[in-house]
Amino acid sequence: MSQLKLQISNLEVKYGPFTALKEINMDVGHGELVVLLGANGAGKSTIFRAISGLNKPSNGDIRFLDKKVSGISPDKLVKLGIIQCPEGRSLFPEMSVYENLQMGGYVHRKNKAEIKKSTEHVYELFPILAEKKDNAAGSLSGGQQQMLAIGRALMAKPKLLLLDEPSLGLAPLIVKQMFEIIQQINQEGTTILLAEQNASAALKIADRGYVIENGRIVVKGTSSELFNNEEIRKAYIGA
Amino acid sequence: MDLFFQQLLNGLSNGSVYSLVALGLTMVFGILHVPNFAQGAFYMIGAYVTLTVMTLFGIPYWIAMFISMLAIAFLAVLSERIIFHPLRKAEALHQMMGAIGILLFLVAFAQVIWGPNYQQMSSPYGNAIGLFGITVTQQRLIVIVATVIIMLILHLFLTRTMIGAAIVAMAQNREGAYLVGINANMVAMLTFAISGILAAAAATLASPINLVFPGMGDLVIMKAFVIIIIGGMGSIPGAIIAGYILGIVESFGATYISGDYKDIIAFVLLVIILSVKPTGLFPGRVN
Repeated sequence: MSQLKLQISNLEVKYGPFTALKEINMDVGHGELVVLLGANGAGKSTIFRAISGLNKPSNGDIRFLDKKVSGISPDKLVKLGIIQCPEGRSLFPEMSVYENLQMGGYVHRKNKAEIKKSTEHVYELFPILAEKKDNAAGSLSGGQQQMLAIGRALMAKPKLLLLDEPSLGLAPLIVKQMFEIIQQINQEGTTILLAEQNASAALKIADRGYVIENGRIVVKGTSSELFNNEEIRKAYIGA
Repeated sequence: MDLFFQQLLNGLSNGSVYSLVALGLTMVFGILHVPNFAQGAFYMIGAYVTLTVMTLFGIPYWIAMFISMLAIAFLAVLSERIIFHPLRKAEALHQMMGAIGILLFLVAFAQVIWGPNYQQMSSPYGNAIGLFGITVTQQRLIVIVATVIIMLILHLFLTRTMIGAAIVAMAQNREGAYLVGINANMVAMLTFAISGILAAAAATLASPINLVFPGMGDLVIMKAFVIIIIGGMGSIPGAIIAGYILGIVESFGATYISGDYKDIIAFVLLVIILSVKPTGLFPGRVN
């Protein structure tokens, strides 16, 4: 196994009296693309929020590059290189596409040349963003907003990129493009943890996967193991 | 016709002061969701700091204003750290109570230190001058011009610097701001500092026209709340425009209806505008 980047052990998150996550054990290796499969409300976003420091775990441990990171504030995690592209995108709607990207590079703001290079790289990945760079983020279509959200996350130069349901609400053709680009980002060397409901598309590009149900990991394995697992085919692939 | 322009000018200068106070209030509310009733007390203390620095040390008006801005920025940040930061996850009502607590404390503090009496602040601009056939005091012109300059500086800060943009980002999407690595504490303190600076500037500009006393912020903060409700909670252009609208309407109301009703006008305006447009003129993002 490759060197471990993210290691989650025995993670538990509670919302008031409700236990949203229990005994979550996961790891992501250096350079891997790992997918987290699960239905709506299974707990995918909660795991992501805990990794990014938006929710405090009530128990368990999150380690990143062999350093304990649970309990650290979100802005410090971004500085360490854990960048999340959240479900719902969380863009700055009244700022332009260009300004959103610049905010994405907030932690590297002192290095102007680097920011410029990253901006151009994002424009290469998503040419439509270059075309629309002066438009307000709120005026973009859903697919374009998702591209901008991923672009903004890339501006922070992630060591670990958390993508929460990037295909949600997008037209099938755009979804295909989106997965190609995610694969490309991974091949360029970025470690990715991807949360998805679209299991067949996600497993095609992923190395390994976890399946979460009701706040617990129920199955884990390589992509082909998961793809050939009868129950998973029934529940998530539908074929 | 002279009276009309005279009152327009008075309205603009009063409106400038309202806008400055309301700007600070709307920023704190829009970004941190704190209804800061203490903003009126910051305004009052700001006037006393300027007055004290001027009379006790003989420091010139503009430098005194600058010192007051720094002092009130510090006071505002201190309030954020001691009161609002620990309450940031509590219910809105607790923050409101915290704000009112600061307000009461500061008003009592002013009474102890400076006494309950009305005091006058003299500015170097007490003369009246003729302008296009109407007579105005220089101070009123100074208020209008200085306000425009302060607003321009604030605008440049928010749009041209990364730190300013971080504040705007936090207002537009709080979670998005966390996820690009913006430090929430930094933004909270900075926003309070700006609101303090604006309050001190407004008070220093308005005091030579009005008077300095411990209760001077009470009506101003009430009106500032009316302004940000009219303008749309959390909206910056809304606060500026509604501030000027209120200043001008009050001024004309006092002249053409009756001076006795001057302070009621704000609330009548509030009722009228909210019955036509319940979200305010520029609906903010706060929900």
